Amino acid sequence: MPVIEVKQLKKTYNETMVPVHALNGVDLTFEKGEFTAIVGPSGCGKTTLLNMMGGLDRPTSGIVTIENDDITNMKAGELVDFRLNNIGFIFQSYNLIPVLTVKENIEFIMELQHRNRKEMEDRVRYLLEVMGLSDKINVRPRYLSGGQQQRVAVARALASKPKFILADEPTANLDSKSTDILLDLMAELNQKENVTFVFSTHDQRVMDKARRIITLEDGKVISDIKQVKSNEARHS
Amino acid sequence: MLVQIAWRNIWRNKIRSLVIIIAVILGLWGGIFSDAFMQGMAEQQVYSSIHTETGHLQLNAPGFLLNHDMQLRIGDADSVVEQINRLPETEAAAATIQITAMASTASSSTGIIVNGIAPDTYAKVSDISKLMVNGDYFKNDRKNMVVVGQQLADKLRVKLHSRIVLTLQTVTGDIIYGAFKIEGIYRTHNSEFDKQMIYVQKDDLQSLVGFPSGAASLVRVLLQKDDDTKEVAEKLRSQFPAEQVQTWIELSPMQQVLSGTMTQMTIIFVGIILIALAFGIVNTMLMAVMDRTREIGMLLSIGMRPSKVFGMIVLETVFLSLTGAVVGILISIGTIYWFGKSGINLSMIAQGANAMGYNSVVYPALGAGFYFQLAIMVVVVAIIAGLIPARRAIRLKPAEAVRGD
Repeated sequence: MPVIEVKQLKKTYNETMVPVHALNGVDLTFEKGEFTAIVGPSGCGKTTLLNMMGGLDRPTSGIVTIENDDITNMKAGELVDFRLNNIGFIFQSYNLIPVLTVKENIEFIMELQHRNRKEMEDRVRYLLEVMGLSDKINVRPRYLSGGQQQRVAVARALASKPKFILADEPTANLDSKSTDILLDLMAELNQKENVTFVFSTHDQRVMDKARRIITLEDGKVISDIKQVKSNEARHS
Repeated sequence: MLVQIAWRNIWRNKIRSLVIIIAVILGLWGGIFSDAFMQGMAEQQVYSSIHTETGHLQLNAPGFLLNHDMQLRIGDADSVVEQINRLPETEAAAATIQITAMASTASSSTGIIVNGIAPDTYAKVSDISKLMVNGDYFKNDRKNMVVVGQQLADKLRVKLHSRIVLTLQTVTGDIIYGAFKIEGIYRTHNSEFDKQMIYVQKDDLQSLVGFPSGAASLVRVLLQKDDDTKEVAEKLRSQFPAEQVQTWIELSPMQQVLSGTMTQMTIIFVGIILIALAFGIVNTMLMAVMDRTREIGMLLSIGMRPSKVFGMIVLETVFLSLTGAVVGILISIGTIYWFGKSGINLSMIAQGANAMGYNSVVYPALGAGFYFQLAIMVVVVAIIAGLIPARRAIRLKPAEAVRGD
């Protein structure tokens, strides 16, 4: 069963004035454990597609199902809870809560899920160990580098044990070294926890790490390539 | 964790928060202190009035106060005083003969009210004996001595030991004159009172006008506690149905009106201050929400319910306001305590204050209940002020907000 299924997804902005067709009938499926990059020029619809898959915005038509749950027709309240328990988000600007420590930032989402304290603490320690940030547990975000902050953001996204993680240009603000570290960690977690990762990116290094690359143009999928370890490509 | 986040968020932009916190501190301090000042004035006025003018209660024959008719009197006043003194709530009671008269000197004359008193007993129900500014309060047992107010002495242009002539009507309706020597001059906070009221020994007045022995125009009662006034008044009404029993509120209704008006004015005053502060708080919180668009977008994206985001912003507003309110209230308590002990000297405007019946030294005072009410008012105003920024926060579209759009 696919984790995410996107059927005939369309999104038009400014419908009454000058319509902008951000998505023009996208059909995609994502299986569990995929490590996928969505690429394409600016304005091709990458972020819009991620927003629809993450239930952050409603499509003009078409449906998005997450393990058979149609999120496009969910009520607003249901959708909030669904996002909390099923989807992890990583943002370009990290978006950590500056008044909380690293530990508290990661715990915060689990508190929203009403997890017990022991479980939260164990999960925080495990994730920070994987991220190589155990020594930063009580540090506030402003004392961390951009790469470290984004690693905390990844830990936060994984903390809620989501079915998949959506990352919107996660390396856009990072230098090459931080990007490499982050991508290696995400790839490792993808393997270890079998979590599905879907990125939007312009970054060649992300594309190189991805095992599937979907290219969008003018709101349509123009290619969907699965890369095998050796980087041999085959069109699906 | 929401409480933790809300509290820490206040200190993210320290200058912005401190500006509004200081505004709340100063606003509340100003409001509370002026309230305490006015309450202090009102309480002192009531205290002075009870302890110099009316007592807590007064008994007199029905109709006496209309024209001070000597025929309208309490026949067995001594017995009435004795019975009242037996009540557990009573501090003291004193019988007084009260007659309208004309006071004259060689240069001036004026209408006055003569109070015939037993000095020792009367000193227990009135503070006049403690308010002497010149001479003594019936220290000698000499006959025809009088104690007058400073204002009257000035008006009649007399000094200590000067003589004044009182023109009175006897119980039979004849006009009679009596020469009295000024033994003491008093001054209360009420200049009108000082112009009118003079005190002579009851025996002197009795013999001069032929007032029956043991009778009195009125009996003044001082109680141990202000709060007992109504209850004791009811008791006395049933105990002495032939007499008119009036409380200090009934005798000086204006005072009650003024005190009540002051309380209302101060509440309105503090209310206006809080409303003005609310606008500042709304502005500060709106700026805070705008600054944190991305963060709020992130919270809404990852699955924080809008109701929780709403609550977080309202909580921040309450914390911001309460921080200022707590400090403002503490400073107010300190300054009110300080000035409550030392008093605020209004001698610069004392003449005007005295003319209105107020003391020239004001001791600010405020009940603990007011602080509690104020704290509730601040929380309510903060919650109301937090609604607009909180609404703004939850109306953000997560997909746009998270990118800072």
